This record gives sequence, C-alpha cells and structure tokens, in this order.
Amino acid sequence: MDDRLRETLSAMMDDEADELSVRRLLSHENQADVRAQWQRWQGVHDLMHRGRSPAEGVDVSAAVREALDGRARPQNPAAARHREPQRFWQWPAAAAMVAAALLVGFGAGTGWDSDAVSSGTLASAPATEASANESPANAGPVQEVALQGLDEKQWEHMSRYLLEHAQHNSVGAGQGSVGYARLVSASGGY
Amino acid sequence: MNHQKLVSAEILAMKPERTGTSTMAQNDQKQAEPSDRQTDLQLVRKVRGGDRAAFDLLVVKYQSRVASIISRYVYDSQEVMDLTQEAFIKAYRAIDRFRGDSAFYTWLYRIAVNTAKNHLESRNRRPQGSADSAEAENFDDGRRLRDIASPERLLQREQLQKELSNAIANLPEELRSAFLLREYDGLSYEDIAGILECPIGTVRSRIFRARDAVDKHLGPMLNHSVT
Repeated sequence: MDDRLRETLSAMMDDEADELSVRRLLSHENQADVRAQWQRWQGVHDLMHRGRSPAEGVDVSAAVREALDGRARPQNPAAARHREPQRFWQWPAAAAMVAAALLVGFGAGTGWDSDAVSSGTLASAPATEASANESPANAGPVQEVALQGLDEKQWEHMSRYLLEHAQHNSVGAGQGSVGYARLVSASGGY
Repeated sequence: MNHQKLVSAEILAMKPERTGTSTMAQNDQKQAEPSDRQTDLQLVRKVRGGDRAAFDLLVVKYQSRVASIISRYVYDSQEVMDLTQEAFIKAYRAIDRFRGDSAFYTWLYRIAVNTAKNHLESRNRRPQGSADSAEAENFDDGRRLRDIASPERLLQREQLQKELSNAIANLPEELRSAFLLREYDGLSYEDIAGILECPIGTVRSRIFRARDAVDKHLGPMLNHSVT
C-alpha cells in the first residue's frame, strides 16, 4: 500500500476522505494490508481516547469475515451489478428490434416508402427509447400501422420473420437481436 | 506564526495530562470524537454495492464498542465475543434497511442491544440494565466496560500509554500540532488549516505522517491478529 492510499486511510480516520479516494482504497488489491493499517490506527485512537490497549480489545473481524464468506448475502450484489446492465439493454433492444422489424418487413406491403420508414420510425426506435419511458404517442401508431390490415400472405410473412427472430435471439443470447434486425434491414430482406 | 507557536505550546502543556491518564481521555471523549458519519456512510454505500472490504473496515472500527455494549448484558467473555460477531452478521444482512437517518453507530448499537437481549431471553434470563437506543450517541464504553484486566494487562496498558506520550512528544512540532488539534480537539482539517495557516492538503499530510510516526514508534505493541 503506497503513501497516497495510507494518507486516504488516515483521512478516513478523521472523516475527511472523499468518495473517490475511498473507492480507490477499497479497490486496492491487498485489502489485508488496508485492514491491518486501519486496525493499528484504530488501536492508537482507542488508546488515546479510551485508554485501552489494543491487546485488551476485541477482534472478531476475522470470524465475521469467515462467517460471511461461508454464507453470502442472498443476492450477490457484485454479480448483480454486472448482470443488471445487460438485462437492462436486452429486453428494450429486443422490443425495439421487433417493432423496427415489423415496420421494415411490412412497410413495403402497406405502401410505405423506404425514406418514410427510416426517418419516421427507425430513427425513433433506438433501444433506449423502447424502454418504459417511451412516449406513448410514438409507440401507439407504430403498433396499429404494423398490425392492421394484414392479409394472409403478410401474416405468414410475419410469422416466419418472428420465428427466425426468435431463433436468432436464442442462439445469440440477446446480442444477436440487434445484429439480426440490422442485417435484415441492410440486406433488404423482409 | 506566533499563533502557531502559541497553539503548539498550549497543546504541549496539556499533553502530559491527556495522554498520561485514561480518565481525562474518557471525560473528553464526547468532545474529542467528532461525527464519523461521512466515512461510515461512504463505507455503508460500498457495502450495499457488494463491497465486503468496506464492511471489514466497519467491523474493525466498531467491534470494541459493540463488545462493550453487549458486555453490559452478558458477563461471559466468550458469549460476548459470539454475540458481537452475531451482531455484525445481523448488521451486514440488514444493511439495506439502514436509511442513514441516524448515525451508523446508533443503528449498530440498537442491533447489538437487541442481539444481547434476545440471547438472554432465549436462555430465560431477564435482560439486566438498560440500553436505550437514545443512549447510543453518548455511550462511553471506556467508562462502563467492566475492567477485568489482569495486573499484567494493566502494566502493559501503562507502558503503552507511556510510549504513546513519548511518541507524540517526539513528533516534529508541525506534525504534533496538527495531530493533537485533530485527535484531542476534534477540529476539522479546514479549521486546523485556519489555525496553523497552511493549506488543507498540508494538514492532511501532516496528520498522516504523525499517525504513521506514532504507529511506527509503538511498533509491535499495537499488533493485532489481523489476517
């Protein structure tokens, strides 16, 4: 542990450390060093303020650590933290792709030209806007236009598309959905 | 400059009394220990984010005080240790319920008291004494903890306090001033910077170096079984 980190630890003793420094300290690879230094300084502090020798003190820190290691919290926050962003993007991305694909796939059949599709809907359907805060004014017409007035051939077309979309997603585990829709749009299929 | 010398002289004049006896230190405790809320909240936030190292620091910081609280209810030292451990485990599991309305220590204090009371009730023993959570902020464990120190321990304590006094006395003046203004007067870095007429960063550095020098001076006497 270098002096800069030890100075941060000292500032933490005095309630004067900033958030960023604390974060840096806690991400130091050797936390045993950090703990040992912290414990020694807390010992001096106790001696100065309570007149108690560190040797008389209590040390349950290792036992608590072991107990918690053996029985982690029900939800593993570290793992959850890594998973959450992926989940966050996955579903909106899939929803956006379905909406975009419906528009692209059936736009020609309902008389839309390609300019109208790209400027009117594709540009307004990135993954972020497909989330819950998407404007209902934008979402409503898209669904209505896409699903209304489909003849038998178009329904068959859509079913095939959705099946392929689902298959592609199941293989690509979420990431594939974006690539598939873009691929369809770029190749002019559907 | 004159002001700085005056402060240092004043601190040095007070030093032997303050470092020489624990009673004085205990009486000064409430004034000398400013709020630790910021650091505690930073650590609690990290614990909530899954950082176990942050919780370790909270345990190390408060374990003596929690044990002292529990020892007011339970007299067997092994039971005190077990319940102290249990209190921290409960705190860890309930950390999401800590809203930050009170100090972390106050919240922890309530958990410790409840842990001790539940333990006694489970053994059909009526909890003795009182430990209202309102007392938490003012609870002085140094004064209330039953002193079960052996003569050897008492001797060791005296030696350690003597060495602490020597370590502080041997500090360069600018380090000693900053360190004592912080530790005994509980002043913020900003206030100390104003008194010593130097930048806050300098205060921070001086206090760190003072702490480090005292630590080195006391050496193995401070060693814990840290793993």
